[in-house]
Amino acid sequence: MEKEENIKSLKLQNKLEELETISVFLEELAEIWDIPLALTMSLNLVLEEAFTNVVNYAYTDQDLHSIGIDFEKTGNILSIKIIDDGKAYDPTQNADPDVTLSAEERSIGGLGIFLIRKMMDEVTYQRADNKNILMMTKKLTFGS
Amino acid sequence: MNVHISTLNDFTVVEVHGRVDTISASEFETRLLAVIESGASKIVLNCQGLDYISSSGLRVFLIAQKKIVAAKGQLKLCCLQPTIKEIFDISGFSSIFSISADLETATKT
Repeated sequence: MEKEENIKSLKLQNKLEELETISVFLEELAEIWDIPLALTMSLNLVLEEAFTNVVNYAYTDQDLHSIGIDFEKTGNILSIKIIDDGKAYDPTQNADPDVTLSAEERSIGGLGIFLIRKMMDEVTYQRADNKNILMMTKKLTFGS
Repeated sequence: MNVHISTLNDFTVVEVHGRVDTISASEFETRLLAVIESGASKIVLNCQGLDYISSSGLRVFLIAQKKIVAAKGQLKLCCLQPTIKEIFDISGFSSIFSISADLETATKT
């Protein structure tokens, strides 16, 4: 019983409007699991970047698809899994943008995945049953 | 997301409030580029009320900076909340922009 309370799941459609659902869900989760405000914002950012990428780039058809996000808290480690049935794509293989370039030299875009990798402690990818599974962990730190 | 535009000294001050995310970034882009296209060459983006930004929002900041630099103008940012500043640091945006702690400093030169 105790363990079940540490797993929460979201089922979403491949629509950008669902970003609002994610934000609201995260706020509730932050309250239940006592996640600090700044970290909740980082998680919101990470989920927005990952979810938006899936919605915008994973599907070659116009159909409705289901995207799952699972949250699990084990001790002070938060694990998040994003599962979609889009085309195979491994964001961990993406090249980092050069963050030392000037404004004129910087290309517009390409920051989303970089932010995910910087914000989370660990990001891994798996392709199974024709699904993309993006797994991320973050240590929950408390105090000031 | 809300945008409020005023002037202070020689600067056009664009105050942005709320969230600049995937949903609101295009509206923010329209508002900000309208200010640049109206001929304002000295602009301060007051981010005091900016609570959240994602890569779509950062993209708009970068587009604005590119346009202003091309027009030989000045774009300054001020009053970033710590969580927003952290995202700017990580993205390398802190070195792209001139960032001041307060509006007074930003509008001085």
